[in-house]
Amino acid sequence: MRIAYIAVILFLVTLGSVVFNFTTPFHFDAIGSNWELIDITVYITFIVCGVAFVALGLLMAWWVYKFQYQEGKFAEYEPENAKLESQLTIITTIGVVVMLAPGLVAWNDYINPPSDAYELEVYSKQWNWMYRFPGADGIFGAAHNKYVDLDNPFGMKPGDPYGEDDILITDKTVKIPVDRPVKVLLRSQDVLHDFWVPAIRAKMDAVPGMVTYFWFEPIVERVYEVLCAELCGRNHFNMRGEMHVVSMNEYSTWLNDQVTWAGMQAGAVPLSPEAALGRDIANDAGCFACHSTDGTQRDTGPTWLDIWDGTVELDDGTTRVRDEAYIVKSILDPHAEIVLGYTTTMTTSELTDEELQSILDYMKGLKSAPAKQETTDENESENAEPSSEVDSTTIPGEDPSTN
Amino acid sequence: MATVEVPYQETVPLHHPKTWIGKYIFSQDHKIIAVQYGITAMAVGLVALILSEFMRLQIAFPEAGFMAFFTADHYYQAITMHGMIMVIYLLTAFLLGAFGNFCVPLMCGARDMVFPFVNMLSYWVYLLSVIILMISYFVPGGPTGAGWTLYPPQTITQGTPGVDWGIATMLISLAVFIVAFTMGGLNYITTILQARTRGLTLMRMPLTVWGIFIATFLGLIAFPALFVSAVMMLLDKFLKTSFFMPAIVSLGSKLEYSGGQPLLFQHLFWFFGHPEVYIVALPAFGVISDLISVHARKNIFGYRMMVWAIVAIGALSLIVWAHHMYVAGMHPSFGFFFATTTLIIAVPTALKVYNWILTLWRANIRITVPMLFALAFVLTFIVGGITGLFLGNVIIDIPLSDTYFVVAHFHMVMGVSPILAIFGGIYHWYPKLTGRMLNDTIGRIHFYFTFIGTYAIYFPMHYLGFIGVPRRYYETGISEFYPVAAHNLNKFITIAALIVGVSQILFIFNLVHSYFKGKKAPANPWGANSLEWCTPETPPRHGNWEDRLPTVHRWAYDFGVPGEEKDHIPQTVPRRKAS
Amino acid sequence: MTDTTLSTQESIFTSTARDWSSDMTTFKGVPWGKAMMWIFLLSDTFIFTCFLVGYMVMRMTVTEAWPVASEVFALTVWGVSVPLLLIAIMTFILITSSGTMAMAVNMGYQRRKWAVFWLMLATALLGASFVGMQCYEWSKLIIDEGIRPWGYAPDHDLGAPQFGSIFFMVTGFHGLHVSVGVIYLITVAIRVVRGKYDHTNFEIVEITGLYWHFVDLVWVFIFAFFYLW
Repeated sequence: MRIAYIAVILFLVTLGSVVFNFTTPFHFDAIGSNWELIDITVYITFIVCGVAFVALGLLMAWWVYKFQYQEGKFAEYEPENAKLESQLTIITTIGVVVMLAPGLVAWNDYINPPSDAYELEVYSKQWNWMYRFPGADGIFGAAHNKYVDLDNPFGMKPGDPYGEDDILITDKTVKIPVDRPVKVLLRSQDVLHDFWVPAIRAKMDAVPGMVTYFWFEPIVERVYEVLCAELCGRNHFNMRGEMHVVSMNEYSTWLNDQVTWAGMQAGAVPLSPEAALGRDIANDAGCFACHSTDGTQRDTGPTWLDIWDGTVELDDGTTRVRDEAYIVKSILDPHAEIVLGYTTTMTTSELTDEELQSILDYMKGLKSAPAKQETTDENESENAEPSSEVDSTTIPGEDPSTN
Repeated sequence: MATVEVPYQETVPLHHPKTWIGKYIFSQDHKIIAVQYGITAMAVGLVALILSEFMRLQIAFPEAGFMAFFTADHYYQAITMHGMIMVIYLLTAFLLGAFGNFCVPLMCGARDMVFPFVNMLSYWVYLLSVIILMISYFVPGGPTGAGWTLYPPQTITQGTPGVDWGIATMLISLAVFIVAFTMGGLNYITTILQARTRGLTLMRMPLTVWGIFIATFLGLIAFPALFVSAVMMLLDKFLKTSFFMPAIVSLGSKLEYSGGQPLLFQHLFWFFGHPEVYIVALPAFGVISDLISVHARKNIFGYRMMVWAIVAIGALSLIVWAHHMYVAGMHPSFGFFFATTTLIIAVPTALKVYNWILTLWRANIRITVPMLFALAFVLTFIVGGITGLFLGNVIIDIPLSDTYFVVAHFHMVMGVSPILAIFGGIYHWYPKLTGRMLNDTIGRIHFYFTFIGTYAIYFPMHYLGFIGVPRRYYETGISEFYPVAAHNLNKFITIAALIVGVSQILFIFNLVHSYFKGKKAPANPWGANSLEWCTPETPPRHGNWEDRLPTVHRWAYDFGVPGEEKDHIPQTVPRRKAS
Repeated sequence: MTDTTLSTQESIFTSTARDWSSDMTTFKGVPWGKAMMWIFLLSDTFIFTCFLVGYMVMRMTVTEAWPVASEVFALTVWGVSVPLLLIAIMTFILITSSGTMAMAVNMGYQRRKWAVFWLMLATALLGASFVGMQCYEWSKLIIDEGIRPWGYAPDHDLGAPQFGSIFFMVTGFHGLHVSVGVIYLITVAIRVVRGKYDHTNFEIVEITGLYWHFVDLVWVFIFAFFYLW
């Protein structure tokens, strides 16, 4: 009898898969939240599916080996076997129920945040994360994308009293206290995003025009990397943030240092007309999607704060003085000289000489001040836009938080 | 019984084209149309394959000098085009356009499709849609880079490559494809329902025909949703309507949209998208059932169960779409319903797998090349199916969605599996189609490279998903969740992908070489029973049959019937007196 | 049940299932074209269903007020604003055309070719007048009411911008169906009198009728959802 190589291959592939599963280092990393129930459900599913996979794979290999072709032999004629088929149906159904039941229980927990959870809003835009806490009153002020402009990055509804004490964090880093359940509310300024920390297990899309949510309770003090898990354009892969799970003390101290919406409005520094024009042009061209102006380090592009003069290391290892010639070249031909640590997702801009000059004027003025950095770019101008329309993304503050 | 009824087809004379163009270019013969569909689909699939190799090279060697030209824009355009081409223009077109056209009339004992002209039109409109899609690469800005799911608002805002022209060509191409599919699909269904030959009851049809039948039905129900969403998105893009577009600020500019609902698109898209999985899977199920039965020389186990499983899967597939949207922000209560329906669908699917394997029991298995592909299909499909149980269970989907686990899962279940079924089917039917056998040795080498290679690509990829590597990342860099070992695994996967890609040259060479130099094929080289092997000529001529259509006396799976001389009895052989 | 009976007969099925799955044709005596038209209409139903579901989702999720149908679609006759007058006439015309179509089908089976011709032509004319009135309605909405596909003309804000978008899209798509139907009717009518279908049972008239009744039925839903809701 010829050796049926395929039987051997099927056997080895099945066995190899099992061996790989047990030897690979690639499994869920240590859980950082309360969602063990997810891990347990995965574990149950692994067992049920693993047994089925091994049984079916080995059976197939064995039978292919055993029942090879012999001239003149007839296969067994058995069109169907109702009893066997119903038994298999029942076994499969039991397996499915075993997997589904814990999953649905966990899902019920997942969609019902505990009543003592405090709220954190994640406001996403191409391509960075911003965060908002409801402030002392525990209630978020209304916000809507239609109010967004350079001086109102969160789209806070002008004149809403609940919004004045909201704490706004434009930096990519957020700190949250350990062992406290948090309900994360998600809003988006432009496209779909998805706030995700693998070790926390939980995630949800941010959808413009809607407020979505999920909740978790961090159980380990640790720094986590925040990823975007929903394709959001050419810089999707660079849309990173940081979530620090810290002690309650550290959290409170940090939160006290953050600026409120009222503070942001008050801390306005007027710009020269040329620089203001440059800022508008840069905004329209989408520059601020990747470049911060307040010193925040983003993976998408270098910050513009203190960009004038100084030196920079390029990705070919050389060092370059950041003079006007260098900056002009980088704007007009972004792929020519790339700063170390960045990739080339910047598109070539079509700018007139005047537009270019205004942007340069604006960039020249971006110097770090000794004062708080959070507000240096938020040059406030008059933004009185009284509006009493019903706001679709108003967040009801039905459960005042305790932070 | 209606034995006096004469099939309508016998009453109308068949017009045979005289010119070469009429025979081979603007042909109304279903077999030629099948070949046209197949060649076009394979050509466009080759483009998608090459795109995927570029993607893999980028993922594994982001820093390498030879990938310097490949920007993030290129990468996102490649994932979009790769996905769309593979799902729609290759798999759907091949399984329904090529196999559907070839198998349905032959296996039903019909002369041709009921409306051959519409059938021909279907191909030419399909070709048009492919051309429009390919034009994407030549318009300013290139093809769209929105991902094959085309989620708004991202699809039509400035942060995405190909937002000005690429998205238009993509959506128009899809709409045109749907027109082509509808013309073809109406033909398949009407042929199967109304143009079967004498004695061919529904429950005697080969499972291939059943799979194509239900898949086409699903297509006619599901594609309208895609059509509607494509129309609405085109209007959003060019007439500035706000169907899917809420008020947004895109890269610093306020757009004029307000009040639209991005989730509506996702619902419409997945109402198409999930049945689409089964549009691809069901014909593959059918083909595999036939291949296993024929080459194992044994009747398919539980034929009626297999038929009802196909019907049940088809029906259930219409009410599971939102399991693609567990993390999309829809109302969370939907999770309970869709998780339950999704896992219910696992039961008939599992039964099909059991029945394939049970068919092997006490069979008389000929390990031919088609059989190799069929066996590989079953194993691959098991992996893809059980990982589907992970993702279908709503709570497990939360950590795994949008990671490489999903990528690995759907490539296993609706990428590699249907491709293996297509290969198996080609090796199986090529002798009937061309009158020549494919080279066996090359076929086996091609098989082992393809099967082991694709398994090596996608099995480890699941585990990248467990550690949390998100999909659709142009570049990851060294992150805490992304250890160096994972980079090495990615390099391994890429090398496997390159080997699989290159090994497809063997297949194409085999197809071309054997067409001219292959061994002459006998009329029924595999000893199969279904009607396509009973044609008076090989390859079958235009019209397929003699003046009189064949008469069917039995099902297509009479293998190893006790007391018979041969181990197979074609469907046209009369029964002995029923005992 | 033994093994051999399974492969050879379907005695275990109920007689209905046996009829459906019997050989040659599933729908006995139904010509190919008619079966195909039914299946096409099934598919087309899903297109309109998706459009209408999209409309309902829009209606339910937009935050701005939806314009009041009876005001937007009012027609001023001799100085009196009559709500839904035009649309009532259009609906009446379309339903009447379904009646003439049904008579044409009947005449077809009696092989009265000229009667079929005139009745189908009448149907086509009614359909064409429907499309004409729809053009009038559109121009009225666009010029007088300032409704645009993307929202409203300046100074004409009636509320949700989706109103115009979805209205023009769905009625436009339906109007396209009616227009195609008119061409289809005329083509078939001419071919009937030319004797192109003499060798058949004139099923083609019924097939055309199926399409026409479908378009009519869809209109009833559009009417209900857009004008009465």
